[in-house]
Amino acid sequence: MPPAGPTNNYLQSASHTERASFANKKFRTVSTLAQPTFTQDAFDSFLSARQEPAWVRDLRLEAWQKSQELSLPNRQQEEWMRTDVRLLRLDRFGFSAERAIGAATPDALLSHGVDLAGRTVAIDSHVVTAELSADLARQGVIFESLDTAVQRHGDLLRPYLSRRVVNFAADKFAALHAAWWSGGTVLYVPRGVAIQRPLHMLSALSAGGTDLGHTLVVLEAGSEATLLAESASIARDAAGLHLGAVELIVQPGARLRYVNLQNWSSGVWHFAHQRGVVDRDARLQWTIAALGARLAKVNQHVALVGAGADTEVNGVMFTEGRQHLSYHTLQHHQAPHCRSDLLYKSALQDESRTVWRGMIKVDRDAQKTDGYQRNDNLLLSDHARSDSIPGLEIEADDVRCTHGSTAGRVDDEQVFYCRTRGLTRKEAIRTIVAGFFQQIFDRITIESVREALGQAIGRRIREYE
Amino acid sequence: MKNWSLMSDFVPVAKVSEIPDPGRKLVDIDDRMVVVFHAAGNFYALDDVCTHDGGPLGEGELIGLSVACPRHGARFDLRDGRALSMPATKPTVVHEVRVVGDQILVKLNDGA
Repeated sequence: MPPAGPTNNYLQSASHTERASFANKKFRTVSTLAQPTFTQDAFDSFLSARQEPAWVRDLRLEAWQKSQELSLPNRQQEEWMRTDVRLLRLDRFGFSAERAIGAATPDALLSHGVDLAGRTVAIDSHVVTAELSADLARQGVIFESLDTAVQRHGDLLRPYLSRRVVNFAADKFAALHAAWWSGGTVLYVPRGVAIQRPLHMLSALSAGGTDLGHTLVVLEAGSEATLLAESASIARDAAGLHLGAVELIVQPGARLRYVNLQNWSSGVWHFAHQRGVVDRDARLQWTIAALGARLAKVNQHVALVGAGADTEVNGVMFTEGRQHLSYHTLQHHQAPHCRSDLLYKSALQDESRTVWRGMIKVDRDAQKTDGYQRNDNLLLSDHARSDSIPGLEIEADDVRCTHGSTAGRVDDEQVFYCRTRGLTRKEAIRTIVAGFFQQIFDRITIESVREALGQAIGRRIREYE
Repeated sequence: MKNWSLMSDFVPVAKVSEIPDPGRKLVDIDDRMVVVFHAAGNFYALDDVCTHDGGPLGEGELIGLSVACPRHGARFDLRDGRALSMPATKPTVVHEVRVVGDQILVKLNDGA
């Protein structure tokens, strides 16, 4: 029996579905056969079906135990004060053992016109496509589903996964993810290998689906790569759940550019823990863009663990309707002579809301730290709201750390000026919004990403009169 | 399950006997958290949101015909949602309430 839930279209048999989807591929949204959600029984059968190495199983069991001890966050907790999850019905979601067959994957925005070195596509936590150019595979690069990678490259990946770069005990969502992760993508680049062309990964959700994807990126010393990750829903407005984690390990002298576009439909609950660890003289440029989700709560952490590490964190948010996006960032300086530079910008429409809570934490040994964080918010309606809470926690005594935060409305004089030059009000707002984001687009060095974001935002700007 | 056709209609949220006077009940109407208060013989419905910092008004203290946010003490008038004291300055959203027989019905105010 399918559980009661927001989906209306349970699949009876795979072959039936396939025929149906060929006949009616364009409109059909395929919902998945969800198991009775995150229960002990479901977890036991999930584990026994997976046949994974014992160490993977042990990591899962430990996390499952933790998830059972933790309750859902409530608003007494500082981190959840502004983010209300009382309307989340976790029992409506769950891992689906059967993959949604015949679902048309949504269009990828970030890979338009880009010559890719490899790509993966996942639907509801099942990787359906994994491709990598043959010459990179020959050089020892791994880019595939984490499901298969733990089987095929278990010895290589074990130390990285066992490190638990993301703290699985951070909250119930992190623990559930660590117990149930499925699908997901691993990118492993061996020492000294520089990948010039970007790699792309797309995670899609069917109506009512659950995405439990885990991303692991390991760049060995002196290597280079660009990874474009995006998530999207197959059906507009459909409900869904993402419980995810991203782990980025950037070893000495390596350079990683990582772009993450969250573009779920407006019915999706998005909970993600993401952490990058950047070693000596390594560089991480991390761009987050968030357009979708009904409610998103993301912890984005960077740890600078070796002298001379350098990170640049960019965030672009554009919200509408009653969306609520909550981002909690941490720039943790653990070693001397490191630089971290964070810039988050959000523009809000309708009754939407963003929360940004940022912290620069400097350990006692991290002398000569250069840390910066800034958050700008542009309120396009009277009912939108942004909360911006920067913070510094500094234990070293020879550092340079600064932060800034702004929130404001569109300047009427700017609109008036644009209109005297013949622009309509909508064109004027569009121009002002584009100008607002330009500062961050200037920092994004990948052209396809700039274009995709600019166009996606432009399409969403309403008619303001 | 959401039912959009009900958006502008009165929906039953509780029995009169369920909420003592003074008392309150937190309800979820079309994915919106609303607190129904019973005070001085009447029922009132407000968004469960303090306009200062998003605090949960449903957990606040009832003072006559007002409720004080549990976080920073901002008070709101139950009748019209008006902010009565700092740190809140903007009104919270109130919804229309009707009692039919022993049922309390609430109609969401979508204009705000």
